[in-house]
Amino acid sequence: MNCEVAHERIVTAAYGELADEQMHELDRHMTSCPECPREREQLLALKVLMDAHPVVEPDANLVARSRLRLEEALDALPPLRWFERLGQRITNSFASLQAAPVAACLLLVVGLGTGSLGGYRLAENRAVRITAARGAVQPAAASMAGNAAPAEIANISSIVQQPNSHMVEVHYNQLVPQQIEGSLDDPSIRQLLMLASQNSASAGVRDDSVGLLAAECKAGHGCKAEGIRDALMVALRYDKNSGVREKALQGLEPYVTEDVRVRDAVLEALLYDGDPKIRTAAINILEPVQGDTSVRQVLNSVANSDRSPYIRTVSRQVLDRVPEIQ
Amino acid sequence: MNGQKSAEERAQARAPEMELIREAQAGSRVAFDSLVRQYEQQVLRLALHLTGSEHDAEDIYQEAFLKAYRYIGNFRFECSFYTWIYRIVTNLCLDQLRRRKTRREDHAVVLNHSGDEIDLLASVSDDRSFSNPAKELDRKVLGERIETALEKLTPRERMVFELKHYQGLRLRTIGEMLSTTEETAKNTLFRATKKLRTQLAGLR
Repeated sequence: MNCEVAHERIVTAAYGELADEQMHELDRHMTSCPECPREREQLLALKVLMDAHPVVEPDANLVARSRLRLEEALDALPPLRWFERLGQRITNSFASLQAAPVAACLLLVVGLGTGSLGGYRLAENRAVRITAARGAVQPAAASMAGNAAPAEIANISSIVQQPNSHMVEVHYNQLVPQQIEGSLDDPSIRQLLMLASQNSASAGVRDDSVGLLAAECKAGHGCKAEGIRDALMVALRYDKNSGVREKALQGLEPYVTEDVRVRDAVLEALLYDGDPKIRTAAINILEPVQGDTSVRQVLNSVANSDRSPYIRTVSRQVLDRVPEIQ
Repeated sequence: MNGQKSAEERAQARAPEMELIREAQAGSRVAFDSLVRQYEQQVLRLALHLTGSEHDAEDIYQEAFLKAYRYIGNFRFECSFYTWIYRIVTNLCLDQLRRRKTRREDHAVVLNHSGDEIDLLASVSDDRSFSNPAKELDRKVLGERIETALEKLTPRERMVFELKHYQGLRLRTIGEMLSTTEETAKNTLFRATKKLRTQLAGLR
């Protein structure tokens, strides 16, 4: 130990703050050093000297005066407002958090962990949903929308029949535009065609779909399903395009004898369709059932009141032939 | 074991004070007044000794307790209330000492002194051994000299010496009050004693 360190320790020791071990070292140094014991004496002398300037107890008057002044000042202070109290509470809470960095870190880690886990789970669920959705869409596309429900199809954009072929292409939209290709006998294709006959905003698409359905029915390619017939009847009754209605009428021709509902639809067309061509075609189609009472009544009505003289004449001719036929 | 027991005893002894602090934090003026009465003597004693002026001591008392009242909500029981209030007081005293130091002209200390005085002060110097000053000097004159020597210290040295020598606080507590370390407080005390010895030796 050198004297410089010893001098510092003498001060610390004089005020009773030197550790025992250091005190022993200092004592050893003092025995061998002639200067440092003198240093200690001088410091002790200073301590005694400084006591000549003692700490005095404050005068009772001073205490009373100070207390009175303080009380007046405290009385004059406005009470803390609610937001000041709130601010203090927030500051305290924040300070407590600062004073407990481990707790803050833990909180952060737990928060991050929960967030990551939640995000992971969310992403996982989403991925499962997306996969399921893709799984549902892809087989439908592969098998030409074998299970595609009408609700999944937004609209039919176009229909193309391949020349000299039994194949047809139907372009339709789901969430994204898609297309499938298949035989006209395919139920999926037929479903799409039926949908196209009713929902498409494009007259061309309706015309194509109704034309194809009608052609299938006329060709006797499994048109016994009522869905197709219904679609053709709807087209006949409500489609704004006369070409579409005409094709629908042609498609319904094979069923006019066996299906009363088809017959009624054709009779309605005869009575109310605005296009004389269709009314004329309806008369011709009804030929196999002209003996039917309802048909005769309609023919009578048309013969008397149809706007077209040609149709009136044709109706009359048909009615004239009826007894002969019977 | 003993240390643990004494810590428990200290905690038990401090329990009523902590209750008072909590009540004061909740807005109880009565509780705060009790705390003031508990510490006002110590606050005034320190301020009076440091400033040497009743007027300044009164101002420091006033300002210290007003601050304590305003910010008692921020007291978080991390240290004793005693340390907390002393920290406020020492800061105010330091400000006061700094203001005074900049105002005051640096004048040389020249006092009329007898041969006895020379002997006494020489004993405090680096070269001579110590003899009892109380018997040989007029206490008032000596007090003035000491006060002058103390005023030569920096405010921080003055504060550390005051808290250690006159108030008898531990260096660790002094470090806490002055927002510094125990080691720094120790070094400051050493510098203060060295300067005081030089100042008082120079009076010969």
